[in-house]
Amino acid sequence: MMLDWLLPALLAAALGLLFAGALRRIRLWRRGRPEPVAFLAGLAAMPRRYLVDLHHVVERDRYMSNTHVATAGGFVLSMLLIVPVHLFGLESRWLNLALLLATLLMFCGAVFVFLRRRHPPARLSRGPWMRLPKNLLVFSASFFVLTLLTSGLLPEGFGGWVLSILLAAGVALGLAEMLFGMGWGGPMKHAFAGALHLAFHRRPERFGGGRSTGLKPVDLEAPTLGVAKPEDFTWNQLLGFDACVQCGRCEAVCPAYAAGQPLNPKKLIQDMVVGLSGGSDARYAGSPYPGVEPGNASGAPHQPIVDGLLSAETLWSCTTCRACVEECPMMIEHVDAIVDMRRFLTLEKGETPNKGAEVLDNLIATDNPGGFAPDSRMNWAADLNLPLMAEVGRAEVLFWVSDGCFDMRSQRILRAFVKILKAAQVDFAVLGNEECDSGDLARRLGDDATFQSLARNNIAVLNRYRFERIVTTDPHAFHVLKNEYGDFYPEGKGGDYEVLHHSTFINGLVRDGRLQLKAHKGGTVTYHDPCYLGRYNGEYEAPRALLNALNIELSEMERSGYRSRCCGGGGGAPITDVPGERRIADMRVEDARAVQADLIAVACQQCTAMLEGVVEPRPQIKDLAELVADALVEEVHEPRKAAMSQEQP
Amino acid sequence: MSDVIRRDPRTERILRNRLHPLHESLAGGPVRGPTGLLRRNPHAVGFIGPNGLKRIDRSSTGPAPSGRDLRRSATTHSEEPALPLHRVEQPDFYVAAVLDMAGGRLTSHDRDILGQAQQLARSGGGQGAVVAIVLGEAREAGFDTAGADRLIQVTHCDGQALDDYCPERKLAVLQAVEDQLGPRFWLFPDSVHGGADLGARLAVRLGERPAVHAWQVTETETLCRGGSGRIDIRRHTPRVLLLAEECALPVDDSRHQALPIQLDEYPDVRVCIHDQGLVPVDPSQIPLAEAEFILSAGNGVRDWDQFHEVATALGATEGASRVAVDDGFMPRFRQIGATGTWVTARVYVAVGISGAVQHLQGIGRCEKVVAINLDDGCDMVRRADLGAIGDSSEILAELLALAREHRGGKDTDATVPETLEVA
Amino acid sequence: MPVETSLNIAVLVSVGQHPVSGRARRADQDARAVELGLTLAGRSLSLVHVGDAGEPALRQYLGMGLRTMTVLQEAPEADAASSLLQYFATHPADIVLAGVQAERGEASGLLPYLLAERLGWPLVPRIAQIRAIENGRAEVLQALPRGQRRALTVPLPFIATVDSAAPGARQTAFGPGQRGLFDIQRGLAQADVARAEWVEAQARPRPKRLNVVKAKSAAERFKAATAKPQGQGGQVMKQESSREKAQAIFDLLVAEGVIRQ
Ligand SMILES: Cc1cc2nc3c(=O)[nH]c(=O)nc-3n(C[C@H](O)[C@H](O)[C@H](O)COP(=O)(O)OP(=O)(O)OC[C@H]3O[C@@H](n4cnc5c(N)ncnc54)[C@H](O)[C@@H]3O)c2cc1C
Ligand code: SF4
Ligand code: SF4
Repeated sequence: MMLDWLLPALLAAALGLLFAGALRRIRLWRRGRPEPVAFLAGLAAMPRRYLVDLHHVVERDRYMSNTHVATAGGFVLSMLLIVPVHLFGLESRWLNLALLLATLLMFCGAVFVFLRRRHPPARLSRGPWMRLPKNLLVFSASFFVLTLLTSGLLPEGFGGWVLSILLAAGVALGLAEMLFGMGWGGPMKHAFAGALHLAFHRRPERFGGGRSTGLKPVDLEAPTLGVAKPEDFTWNQLLGFDACVQCGRCEAVCPAYAAGQPLNPKKLIQDMVVGLSGGSDARYAGSPYPGVEPGNASGAPHQPIVDGLLSAETLWSCTTCRACVEECPMMIEHVDAIVDMRRFLTLEKGETPNKGAEVLDNLIATDNPGGFAPDSRMNWAADLNLPLMAEVGRAEVLFWVSDGCFDMRSQRILRAFVKILKAAQVDFAVLGNEECDSGDLARRLGDDATFQSLARNNIAVLNRYRFERIVTTDPHAFHVLKNEYGDFYPEGKGGDYEVLHHSTFINGLVRDGRLQLKAHKGGTVTYHDPCYLGRYNGEYEAPRALLNALNIELSEMERSGYRSRCCGGGGGAPITDVPGERRIADMRVEDARAVQADLIAVACQQCTAMLEGVVEPRPQIKDLAELVADALVEEVHEPRKAAMSQEQP
Repeated sequence: MSDVIRRDPRTERILRNRLHPLHESLAGGPVRGPTGLLRRNPHAVGFIGPNGLKRIDRSSTGPAPSGRDLRRSATTHSEEPALPLHRVEQPDFYVAAVLDMAGGRLTSHDRDILGQAQQLARSGGGQGAVVAIVLGEAREAGFDTAGADRLIQVTHCDGQALDDYCPERKLAVLQAVEDQLGPRFWLFPDSVHGGADLGARLAVRLGERPAVHAWQVTETETLCRGGSGRIDIRRHTPRVLLLAEECALPVDDSRHQALPIQLDEYPDVRVCIHDQGLVPVDPSQIPLAEAEFILSAGNGVRDWDQFHEVATALGATEGASRVAVDDGFMPRFRQIGATGTWVTARVYVAVGISGAVQHLQGIGRCEKVVAINLDDGCDMVRRADLGAIGDSSEILAELLALAREHRGGKDTDATVPETLEVA
Repeated sequence: MPVETSLNIAVLVSVGQHPVSGRARRADQDARAVELGLTLAGRSLSLVHVGDAGEPALRQYLGMGLRTMTVLQEAPEADAASSLLQYFATHPADIVLAGVQAERGEASGLLPYLLAERLGWPLVPRIAQIRAIENGRAEVLQALPRGQRRALTVPLPFIATVDSAAPGARQTAFGPGQRGLFDIQRGLAQADVARAEWVEAQARPRPKRLNVVKAKSAAERFKAATAKPQGQGGQVMKQESSREKAQAIFDLLVAEGVIRQ
């Protein structure tokens, strides 16, 4: 019978090609910069990362999660059995039976894939991805029937040569898609690259429920700073790009994309794939960057990315909100890649757009982005009598004031927080003029040199004083203090304190009964999760608990919690200000209007500024600190005089 | 207007007596009472027009409606005493003041320099004479009251007019003055109108180390403002001084002879720099950051064609709020504010702009802000020196009409062409 | 821009000072001069600094895309002009650009004049742009107040000072700035003796002149005397007719001199 020799030959050829293709792919990844990984541990952890962590993300789409388990599980099992059964001709009833079940499982999964693909949502890519379900069906069906034949469960000579030819064709087609395609850049590439990506992920802390959101420092002595060409990425970043399944979940949540700015995270990752393997984006079959005609991008590992694969505006549109990363089932790190490329533009080319250059100059010359006199940091609190660290030396809480001290609106938040601290009789102090900008903005704008110098200055100051925790009202400062300063502590010195956001801290005070609160009065309230508090630091609960303590029943927006839509204020986006069709903040206020909110509670001064920048009429915007301060039940016997004069003149 | 000072006791009396039947017709506008307090007569605003309606004409530029203004200005004149004449017949030394004369007239800076020159001429023994040096055509008659004892006015050198940018020729004239009079001090306004340039040129030519940005000068000691305005340098007063604005009080209590002096001969000039004339600059093309008069549009502008017309008619540079830009009515480079341009205009007119912090940041350094807005409580009106509450298109329409009347009136009377702006 | 490619263009750069914090930085006008030079000569532009190559702020100029900078190593009290004079005697240039005045110290803006006088070159102050260089002559635009410009022609070689109205300097990039090299030459300047006698102190606030009557006519003087002092919030017109409001605005425009009388 023809299949007797054809089948093993086809299998051997397909496996050989897969092997060759895989080697080639690995060589492409290795053109990236070296980065050490725990090689064996990573490989060993891979199945668990796939089954637990990845599925945790995939599971947000139940349909797809089950489908994927059936299809992928079926396929992996099938392949494991096909090799002994059909390549080496091992004859075993049990193996055959198992193989039949595996292919059946895969077939069932493939049917669901097929159904999903009949009317695919806009975020999904077309092109080769449209033929995948059919080939999955063909593969599983062919091997099912084939196994039926070879296992003797069907009568000898069943179907005759017609069936043989059909099967041969089916097997060939299936193998071509599943094995050849896997090695040579077909849709199945994701399985191979994805598995290795999980094993060698550059943020292994993310697995097992952990969180790793801080950016990695730039080595300022390196011959080029940041990423100019695809080969300037680390090898496992390149590997990560290759894992993308073009599911478009990132595209669906990206605020910049929705605002019509020229950014689409999926396309960006695909462009990186084009860059690492060389070629053009002519075959890309998903949504383009808004306002940019696809098909004109081309690149190669050693060619510049900007103005070859994408334009700088694409990179500067990102608000670093991490919605894409949160949503990506392959755990790809879009923000790292974007910031890496920005670093090159800022540190090597000096091309931070719009007000970027000015802001960075200010940060260098005055330690704050607005260019205000560095010794005027305490002007906002002239009447508040705040204890200065320089005078008291130690306190339980260090109140990190942040650059909000220069902005009249943010000062209201700061004052409200001071009122709360005083009401709860917290032992706190501030750094005053010794404080510098946290460096968040400089870092997101790609200027790691300025970030590092600000961070080192701040650390030197922090190391001078004794305190147990830092509390700040600014989630951006909170994030860098908590997650990014760790790389810069001089050997073994400092960093042994807790960093808290004011929402967490105030909630703790309320829980401990140190604050007496009245019920909030007013209309419908909704809460906007700041990206740097929520997705970056996982704090979704404390703000809600606090609002609950104010007797507020939240009317949650459709996108809230880990799916919260960015206000548009992160990543230096308001400074680079890439034009789009809409404003991100407008869309966010629209979200709030959709739940008839009269008030948007926020937990970030940047969000306050962005949302209040929306043209009136719109819901009121108030920070948690302001809501709590308004609801404080004033103590009858005021312990300290200073706590009296609160209202801003 | 004639400078003869004539008192009119009757009018003065009527003006003092608010119950006088003729008082109203004379004291139409705001008037100072005998104690110097401002007196306003709220009933006297406006006049009755031909159709019997009350009309209020606030234009100070329009034709004087009655003889009232003339008479009133006559009365204010009469308050000025005749100034004593300061004579210097045989000067022991000279103090040279080289004047900018931007627009052919004494600038306030020039007057400060002359004031300083007079101080130096009267100190340090002997009697000095202040020589005002005017290079190029001038349309100024008040050198005597500004403090010039002598006047050197040179309109041509080397057969060429001194009106364009010709620092080499002007320097030659100054050298001639140096040769002829050997002034004890050379004073220049430290200004962008040529004073700083000419002063530096003369200083290096004479091998003198000038005092620059000098703001407090005595005969022996000078205080100069240093770089970025952060330090003061105290030093011996040199021969050549480039003086800051308001370095000294202008002369206001004496008249001076302003006797002309003729220069004998000029040194040879090698002219390298040739003036090709002013490049015509359309006000709308001036970069926002440099513009000195900006008409800015926000979300409250209803009629965009009208807005542009007004800007053209007033000769203003156009600006915009971010919303106006986002909505596509104005190009992005016109945006003013945190993410747009930071402007330094002398006058900023905000039409239908609410005054969000991000916008106000961009106009922090504007001198006079005018707001046209429906909402009298908005932050822009609070920031403004003048807030006009009302619909933008109505007020703009009136403004347009006013600008056209103004233009119309101007084209007919043949004014002297402006050569340079007066700052 | 028609520019002969073989031109030698040098920019004199100094260490500036941030107006608010006083920290060292590239001086704004000098950086604009570098920008102007870069658009004319590209990377063949040469930068010259008199002072100390150890000053980190100098790297901000290199970060604008230049590989090297010449530093005439001098003590702080040296007279920069004599040092530069010797330098240009051996390194001829066609155009020398500088800022109008420094941001530190005396900031007299005299240095370019001294150089020009001693080299016998013409000096064009406050330029905003070099439009063309043809047949040994340059056509430059001089910046005047209110965004006005004047065209001048001047033969090479010449010195020009660059006004703040010239195009803003490009951003300085950290990487190239750190990698740029200093060509350090021992300077031979004389000490600036005159300066040694001066006394420097923190700037005192200058008293604001009160009620200066700048007006020409009695009516205007009257207006100046009765004008509301600044900083008391403005006048708000609500009830008046549109015509009156417009008239008030128009009067203000005229009084401020932004509408030509
Ligand atoms: C990060 C960030 C950066 C920003 N940067 C800038 C910036 O650089 N520049 C900037 O301008 N904005 C900026 N904004 C936006 C800013 O917050 C405001 O949204 C914007 O300035 C409002 O523009 P507006 O005043 O034109 O519109 P509105 O706020 O809608 O105000 C319109 C005004 O017009 C008045 N009005 C309405 N109709 C009429 C009428 N018929 N006649 C007269 N008046 C009328 C209304 O009373 C109102 O006061 C920024 C916002 C953010 C968050
Ligand atoms: S990057 Fe991730 S979320 Fe985006 S398309 Fe690829 S796999 Fe999907
Ligand atoms: S971080 Fe946010 S803005 Fe940036 S690509 Fe991802 S989703 Fe889009």
